[in-house]
Amino acid sequence: MLPLGQGGCLMKGWRVGAAEETEMKGNEKDAEPRLVVPGEVIQDHANLNPGCGIIKSADGHIATRLGTLNNNEGTLHVQPINATYMPRSGDLVIGYIEAVQSNLWFLDVAGPFNALLPMSLAPWKVEFGDARNHMNVGEAVLARAQEVDESHSVVCTMKGVGLRKISEGHIVSIPVQQIPNIRGENGATIQSIKEASDCRIIVAENGRVWIDGDSAGIRTATKAIEVITMTGHRPDLETRLAACLAGGEV
Amino acid sequence: MAKQVVPQLLRQHLANLAADDERISGRGQWEGRELELEVDCLYNADGSAKVVWGDTVVYVGVKFELREPYSDRPTSGSLMCGAELRPVAHRKYEPGPPSPESIELGRVVDRGIRESGCIDMNALCIVPGESVWMVVLDIHVISDGGNIFDAAGLAAIAALRNATVPAARYDVGEDYKLAVSLTPIICTFTRVGGRYVYDADEEEELAGAERLSITLGDNGSMHSMQKGLKGTFTTAELSEILDVCATRCDELRKLVDSKVE
Amino acid sequence: MGGYGDVKLLNDDGSRLDGRTFDESRPVEVKAGVIPVADGSAWVKHGLNEVVCAVYGPMEAHPRKIQLQDQAVIDVRYNMAPFSTSDRIRPGFNRRSREISKVTAEAFASTVMVERYPRSKIRIEIEILSAEAGTRCAGLTAASVALADAGIPMRGMIVGVASGKVEDTVVLDLDKAEDNYGQADLPMGIMPTTGEIAFMQMDGDLSMEELQQAIDYNFAAAAEMHDIMEAALRARYDGGDE
Repeated sequence: MLPLGQGGCLMKGWRVGAAEETEMKGNEKDAEPRLVVPGEVIQDHANLNPGCGIIKSADGHIATRLGTLNNNEGTLHVQPINATYMPRSGDLVIGYIEAVQSNLWFLDVAGPFNALLPMSLAPWKVEFGDARNHMNVGEAVLARAQEVDESHSVVCTMKGVGLRKISEGHIVSIPVQQIPNIRGENGATIQSIKEASDCRIIVAENGRVWIDGDSAGIRTATKAIEVITMTGHRPDLETRLAACLAGGEV
Repeated sequence: MAKQVVPQLLRQHLANLAADDERISGRGQWEGRELELEVDCLYNADGSAKVVWGDTVVYVGVKFELREPYSDRPTSGSLMCGAELRPVAHRKYEPGPPSPESIELGRVVDRGIRESGCIDMNALCIVPGESVWMVVLDIHVISDGGNIFDAAGLAAIAALRNATVPAARYDVGEDYKLAVSLTPIICTFTRVGGRYVYDADEEEELAGAERLSITLGDNGSMHSMQKGLKGTFTTAELSEILDVCATRCDELRKLVDSKVE
Repeated sequence: MGGYGDVKLLNDDGSRLDGRTFDESRPVEVKAGVIPVADGSAWVKHGLNEVVCAVYGPMEAHPRKIQLQDQAVIDVRYNMAPFSTSDRIRPGFNRRSREISKVTAEAFASTVMVERYPRSKIRIEIEILSAEAGTRCAGLTAASVALADAGIPMRGMIVGVASGKVEDTVVLDLDKAEDNYGQADLPMGIMPTTGEIAFMQMDGDLSMEELQQAIDYNFAAAAEMHDIMEAALRARYDGGDE
């Protein structure tokens, strides 16, 4: 086994330059986030609380997911590279109707289970048995997760400002971890995409992005999102994104 | 295969794009995705090929088995093509007995190869009436990112052209390269957003309608054709497709030539 | 396991037929993210074995009867492609594959944090493209990398390794001839980060000392293989690819 260096992680192959600056000692905040793999033992920071993707054991903290290790205000957690969307109460979601019963819609919200949208939480007055006439299989909605129980069952509502059936435009799916990258700092990135494409864009918490505008605008916005999600880890993202929004080839 | 829900918005969007002569990937109407072909990549197969076509990945292995010929054709070998669409290849594929989709894929690839006559069945005879070679072609789809037909067809003919008959192993002579006189190529066209396009990707297949898969031989003759899924087409649409098909088939044939020589 | 036979598995100077020392593994290569449509995936080449694995999930557990109220179901399919062996395998139900699928699922159910996803299912699809002794181990390795790639939380990664005995000598990582004509085979699934064993099968004839030797070889090999798995995951995500 490779000897465990300072901080108890295998630095092999991961940004060798950073290894020199980042000596993990005591309570010092990490200078650079590093990639950890499931089962990796993190020996320093024993005083920190275990957060997402970390469990505590006799040896110290153990990462349980592939992702970047972060130290945030006393909690050690892993920002996963990949993760399924796990619904939380209050999340804005874009769902597709998978099935309709007389008083209930089943929504695919990109989570492990379908969410339920009961008749009583629809934006219209729905007569019993009439659900299909309002929204049928294959249609898309902007809804909010109202209740999420401990087994991740979700009830959604469409009663709320801005919640509606989506009848125009295009929906793209992105990994949920990329949502902050699409939004950017204080929403700057999404704003620049909106302006360049002249489209209405809503980023839902379940990794679905609704883009509404003309064909060309939707094309520009979709491409920009692709540039961020597929190549965001490469240097010069800002330059390439700007070029993409200006209409050039990336 | 689990039934997939087709998002209506996607269908609408593809139709809007089609009206502007655009596709969701930015490709041209008759433009295919980038693809890679590798041959001789499976250690235990007598001939093999791997195709990575967009997000689609297909392996084809060819194996030879010694058989008794059919009584009505004592000097003829045989060809058997099968395909598996296993759960590895997509979330929508469920475990179970062979699905109609996998059976169709196997049979369509089979027809194109068989009807082209690219394999001389009589050359597969070892002892007339007693022993002949059966060529067994297995299509193994590892990732279904759209247009598995063309990927499977390409890998199949490349694997055949790469194949060596393992005569020594069965003590019936020395190993020799399987004689494949032609390179039949399948091209599939799908109706997306109301018009036909070449090489549909995953989203286009999801929201698209019917497809036409056509196998052309070296001189442009048609050797097989299959219309699949729900929808109808016209002779005018077929004409346009056949023109494009000839060009695409030629390009793919050259690719196979470059890899198997 | 085949019979002992007259096949010589060790050269006169005591070395193995392919030149390896007793404690030397065949070359191993691992890549993550090879199946674009899967939630996570991996490819492993171990000697002449070639294996791919796709992970899908967590997703709703269908049919209803397989659902567990308090945890996820680990659903494994280990399958050998028809062209993976020198004699073609007819596609269809295979008892050996069914058994391997079961014990592989049980291995991962012990290390994946299944309580996180009650009533759901995590699919692990292992396809053997080329088989030359050691496919169930390569399958375990590929599945671990694919699960990590998919972001499924686990207490650690399981590494598949096997040792055996040929001509009364314990050796690491049997190749095909050694597996067919040797005297024992001990495949294991080891979590090097904790030292736990999640998978173990044995057949043949081993004394208690020989068993310990084989286990030691497996642990050493698992530690090295773990580095390769880690490197594959890092390579996929640290911007080195593309």
